Order: sequence, then C-alpha cells, then structure tokens
Amino acid sequence: MILASPSRRRVRLPAMARVVVDVMPKPEILDPQGKAVTGALARLGFAGMSVRQGKRFEIEVEGEVTEDRLEDVRRAAETLLANTVIETFDVRVEAPPESPEEDEPDDDEIEPADQSDQDESNEQAELAATQAG
Amino acid sequence: MAPKIGVVTFPGSLDDQDALRAIRLSGGEPVSLWHGTDSLDGVAAVILPGGFSYGDYLRCGAISRFAPVMAEVIKAAEAGMPILGICNGFQILCEAHLLPGALIRNDVRVFVCKDQDLQVESVDTTWTSDFTAGQIINIVLKNGEGGYVADEETLRRLDGEGRVILRYVNGNPNGSFHDIAGICNQRGNVVGLMPHPEHNVDFLTGPTQDGRPFFTSVLNFLAAKV
Repeated sequence: MILASPSRRRVRLPAMARVVVDVMPKPEILDPQGKAVTGALARLGFAGMSVRQGKRFEIEVEGEVTEDRLEDVRRAAETLLANTVIETFDVRVEAPPESPEEDEPDDDEIEPADQSDQDESNEQAELAATQAG
Repeated sequence: MAPKIGVVTFPGSLDDQDALRAIRLSGGEPVSLWHGTDSLDGVAAVILPGGFSYGDYLRCGAISRFAPVMAEVIKAAEAGMPILGICNGFQILCEAHLLPGALIRNDVRVFVCKDQDLQVESVDTTWTSDFTAGQIINIVLKNGEGGYVADEETLRRLDGEGRVILRYVNGNPNGSFHDIAGICNQRGNVVGLMPHPEHNVDFLTGPTQDGRPFFTSVLNFLAAKV
C-alpha cells in the first residue's frame, strides 16, 4: 500500500496521557486575585460566592503513566510549577486527550484495517484501560 | 583597581542599565552579565536587577531562577560572594531559596510606584554597612508583586537574627508581613529588597541619593578584602 489509510494514520499517533497539576495558594496566604474576582462576581449579582484563584497545568505525558512517571510529574511540580512556600499542588491522571482527527474507531465499526493496525489498536485500548484504573 | 560588580540581564530585565550606572557612579567597575552564560566573568559581586524577567510568566522569578547564570550565582552566594537582588532580583533570590519567604501580589491590588520612606534596620550586611542603624531613607518603590510573606517561624527567625535590613515606615504600601522591605541571608552576603536604590544615586533623576550607600557598602567591603 502506498498511501496510508485514515485508520492507519489514527493508530500511529503516539500513546499520550494527560496528567493535571492543580496549584492553589495556601489558605493562609492572601489571594488578591481571588479577592478581586470575588468582588466582581458580587457586583454582577452572583451572591454568596467566595473565590480563590489557582493555576491548572495540563501535561501530556508520552507513553504509559506509571507510578515512576507520576513521581517525575510531582517532582516537576515541586521544582517549578508550584512555589511550596506559598502554594500547594495536586497531581492526578486524566483520560487521554481527544481531538476530532484522533477518534478511536468504534468496536462495532467495520474498518479496512490490516492485522498490525488492529494490534496497535488493541494496545491503545489496553493502555487506556490501565490509565483509567 | 576598582572592584568589578556584575549585573545580570535576563530577557525582560528593565533596570540593569541603571544598576550598571549606579555601580560606576559609586566608584566600581560595572560588568554586564548575560542570563544565558554560565560564567560570572571574574566579578566580585553580583546584582540581579529589577524588571519583569521572562515576562513574570508562571511566577515572578520562577523561570529566571533556573537560567544558566543562576547556577553560578547560587554557587558564588554559598561561597560568600555579595549578591544583591532588587525587586525582581529579590523575587528571583526567594525563588532560588537563597532567601526565605516569597513575594506575592500587593494587597492593594494595584501596581505601586512612589518615593517610599524606609528604616534601615540591619547594617551588618555587605550591602548596608555604610548606613547607620535606624536611619530613615527615601527610595523609589515600584512593583505589582512586592508583598513579602513567610511563615511565622521564618518571620520570628528573621526578626530575632537581625536579618530584616529594611522596613517600610509611614505606611505599608503592599501588605508585606512585618513591614518587611528587605532581608538578608544568615551570612549577610545575600540581600534582597523591593525598593530600587539604583534609581536614587543622582539628583538629576531622583529626589534623594539614599541609594548610594548600598553600592558604596559593597565596594568598601570588597576593597577591605583585597
């Protein structure tokens, strides 16, 4: 085959998982941004809402997210993403990112795919299952 | 020969030229240092200037703290070299853990730019020895994130060990704990402060020359060392 079929292109994408790092100012640290947002919400009529503002980092991690990889992310968060003098952080794994061109073929969808494609596809499904667990 | 004092330029530094000029006016030999090099070019002291290095992305000073030159600055600081961080430089020193605590957004939620009254608290540092303890000075303050914060234990230690070098007087402009405007490390060679002494060295551009003693202090210290 000379031209890659769409299905081949799909399954060739590297396996990626998303790890999310949430960073929040510590409760005892003043949060002027959150205060400003709280004030603006009250002015807009959203009563009884008190806001603290933090940051969310979405990290696409190549390959399987093992405990070691998560430990790497935690170290990255502690080294750079958060300043632990004033902030706390939380690391968690999210489902793999979705994008319109990367639709996984449905199980019951009949697609012209050769065996190697099918194998890779199964690998991806397995990976997704591991990550979900 | 006049002692060489380096000023690091990061992408987004604003006051590097004024710092270089202040060194020259005070009798030192200014040396420009680039953030991307790993050489301090034989300088005897280093100033991290004010500005918005790396656009203040992530947190003020968080990315600059890992610039190649900073590995050398940290090594030199630990070996006793005089290091002064002004404003953004102070933020970088805190991010690098050369100084304790952190600087957060001003409690007043606006950028503050004013001639600020300050009290010199500690003169036992390489950057403040030419002042007299308790002296009231006036230096320009200009920042959006100058609120000094630290946990109670750290604040107690800073106060107890005489490591607060400058305090805001006649009003706290940004919510800094204990009115702290500047601190030093245990050894007194690393100093960070939010006000800008490099702008107050010449009556042409500032209402006082109260910034000069910071530069003459270190030059006298370095001259005495030789």
